[in-house]
Amino acid sequence: MSTEKDIYTNKKKKRNTLGQRRKKFAWLVPLASIRLTLLLLSLSMILVFVATLEQVRIGIRGALAEYFESMYGIWHYPEQFWGGDFLNVIPIPIPGGYLLGGLLIINLTAAYITRFQWTGKKMGIQLIHLGIIMLLVGQLATQAMQEESRMQINKGESSNYIERFHGVELAFSDVTNPDTQKVVTIPQDILENGGTIRTADLPFKVQIKHFGVNCDFTVTPEGSKRSALVQEVNRGVGQTANLTISNKEEDFSSEGLNFGYLVFELFDGTKSLGTWLTLAHPGGNHWWKESPKLSDLAFQPIRHEGKLWGVTLRSEREYLPYSIELLDVENEFYQGTEIPFNFESDIVLNMEGNQSRRALVYMNTPLRHDGKTFYQYQMNAAADYTVFQVIRNPSWLIPYIACVLVSIGLLWQFSFHLVRFLRKNSNSAQPA
Amino acid sequence: MSFSLPNTFSLTRALLTALSCLLLISCGEEAEIRSYEIPTEYTGPVVTWELPDDWGENPDISGPMAGSFHVKTELGPMGRIGVMPFRESVSSVDVANMFGMELGQSRMDEDDLKKISEIRKIEGRDFEWISLNDQGQDGSTRKILLALFRNEGETWLFPFIADRDLIREQEKNFESFLASTTLRAGEIEIRAKAPTLPPPPAHDQHGAPTWEVPPHWIKTSASSMRLASYEVKDRNGSKLDFSVTSFPGDVGGTLANVNRWLGQIGIDPVEESSLSKYVSPIVLDERDAQLVVAEGEKDALYAAIMMVEDRSWFFKITGNRELARVEKPNFLNFLESVCFH
Repeated sequence: MSTEKDIYTNKKKKRNTLGQRRKKFAWLVPLASIRLTLLLLSLSMILVFVATLEQVRIGIRGALAEYFESMYGIWHYPEQFWGGDFLNVIPIPIPGGYLLGGLLIINLTAAYITRFQWTGKKMGIQLIHLGIIMLLVGQLATQAMQEESRMQINKGESSNYIERFHGVELAFSDVTNPDTQKVVTIPQDILENGGTIRTADLPFKVQIKHFGVNCDFTVTPEGSKRSALVQEVNRGVGQTANLTISNKEEDFSSEGLNFGYLVFELFDGTKSLGTWLTLAHPGGNHWWKESPKLSDLAFQPIRHEGKLWGVTLRSEREYLPYSIELLDVENEFYQGTEIPFNFESDIVLNMEGNQSRRALVYMNTPLRHDGKTFYQYQMNAAADYTVFQVIRNPSWLIPYIACVLVSIGLLWQFSFHLVRFLRKNSNSAQPA
Repeated sequence: MSFSLPNTFSLTRALLTALSCLLLISCGEEAEIRSYEIPTEYTGPVVTWELPDDWGENPDISGPMAGSFHVKTELGPMGRIGVMPFRESVSSVDVANMFGMELGQSRMDEDDLKKISEIRKIEGRDFEWISLNDQGQDGSTRKILLALFRNEGETWLFPFIADRDLIREQEKNFESFLASTTLRAGEIEIRAKAPTLPPPPAHDQHGAPTWEVPPHWIKTSASSMRLASYEVKDRNGSKLDFSVTSFPGDVGGTLANVNRWLGQIGIDPVEESSLSKYVSPIVLDERDAQLVVAEGEKDALYAAIMMVEDRSWFFKITGNRELARVEKPNFLNFLESVCFH
């Protein structure tokens, strides 16, 4: 049995440990400020409010990109609100999700380090803090690591690659060898920077002339001139189909179709090989084959030094070490309506080592394999193809763990205080 | 539990420190060019070559053409060399006739072909070598040299269309070009189609007539030889091809032209004395003309031939016999609408 002296000594020890830690991490003490927490939470509420308003104007993806997936966003007071005529012109900077989320993580972590005491009385609070930190870190990790792609498979065929919903790449493929195809891809970030691209993997230099994430394109009407963007184009489909394009803002709405475009010139040393126009189809470049005049946009031939290269601007592509074969598709609608009741894809997953697994993918029942989740996304039973939405989120488990920690913390904290309250009550109820 | 709240200075310091930490942890991944190998996905034809120094590439490659070139001369680009992959083993006679027709030649058979063709061995590969000369226009020096390569049931055609002197001069280059080629047929179906010929000697376009066509005739692309081209289809998929062409002179005369057309729809050629079986006089735009009506077992041909200021004009519709019979009134209405102003 511990004496009163022992209890006193233990308490003193714990206070000393905390004191030593606070001394050691003195620079973290200001970061653990509750004022900072309150300020950041208030700003988060403003951010959510502004982004909700903006969602009506620029769509969910636009609001996410502008306000949550950024350090800051610029907001203009809505014209239709009171005083909007005057206030609309003033750009108002709003702290972005990355900034507020990051600061909150730092704030909570600092508080955790400088105030942490592993006592029964405080354990619940610590668990709640830990859970919220995990929730924020998990969200940040999701933002940074989650990739959303699609996979389209025709019935009776298989596919071994996925394509990102957002982001394009310029792909050169050397198809001269009958067995293997060499692919060199230049990502959107590099295309956006412009300039001349040199790489040892390509036998020519690529000079970026014009790049955009969205455009309107059409065959140049007779008697009209091609737009300035494509006036230099003298090779490929842009030239044979006499295409003209006009730049367009990226459409963030869920129904928005963004046709990326690129005008580039190839050089062998200083000799120009020609200037091409290439367009990326938002549904995947295989859709160009539906249009006879534009079908070559999926593969524009370039012959150089006895080799045949194909060039295309396509959705960023990732090849998988396994393939999925589509055996059958089925879709059902609510009777008398065109509202889907069920979309179902009967597939075979062909893995490495000649192993295979048959599965049925339908609404809310995805296929999970190798860190990726394949959700039933679109389907066309008439055309016999299916489209999966493919999500890769290495941090998908973190929010679940965080919620469990917060729940345990809350339960502990309330239970602890409840037990103490009941004890106190029972003690005070005892007769003197 | 009590904590001492930091003052304003501490809060500023807190924000600055937090921002610095955030900058440190927010260093992103840099975009980079990737290179990798995958099993071949490309199912189209593979044709590669190395061009002779004095050849240039034509940018307007489309349809079945895998490549198109010209010869660089002091007078500018001359001639046209093409690369055409065929999915199937096509008959040499058909290919020769396809090009020969464009040069105004009458239909050839196997025996005729033997006289103008030979086998030429280039870098261990056998090419069928066919020479066609222009028969359609007086004094024309145009020539078509066809090189055909066959490999496991697939055919590759290399037409060289130019003035005969230029072809003679460039024959060595043509051979070295063929020697440099890598040829691999694709899985995608490729239909044979005659390449666009180099433009004939310039003629006056101002004398071109006007006309009216029924609304269901679908305009197709005209070529240097065709001033207008239309397609007529029915629900069963049957087709008719309608064209308007014009050449200087009489282009070999009515008998030669009619016999060439009869051959195209499987009817034996006729003597001058039997020409009236298919040809009858007609008046178009107050001028004398000839109407040709010929119906074979499957195909039919209706045409009008007229001379206007030393030029021959041909208005011809040909294709499925049943559909041609249905369209005959429309064709005659079209002829009535032709006006040379």
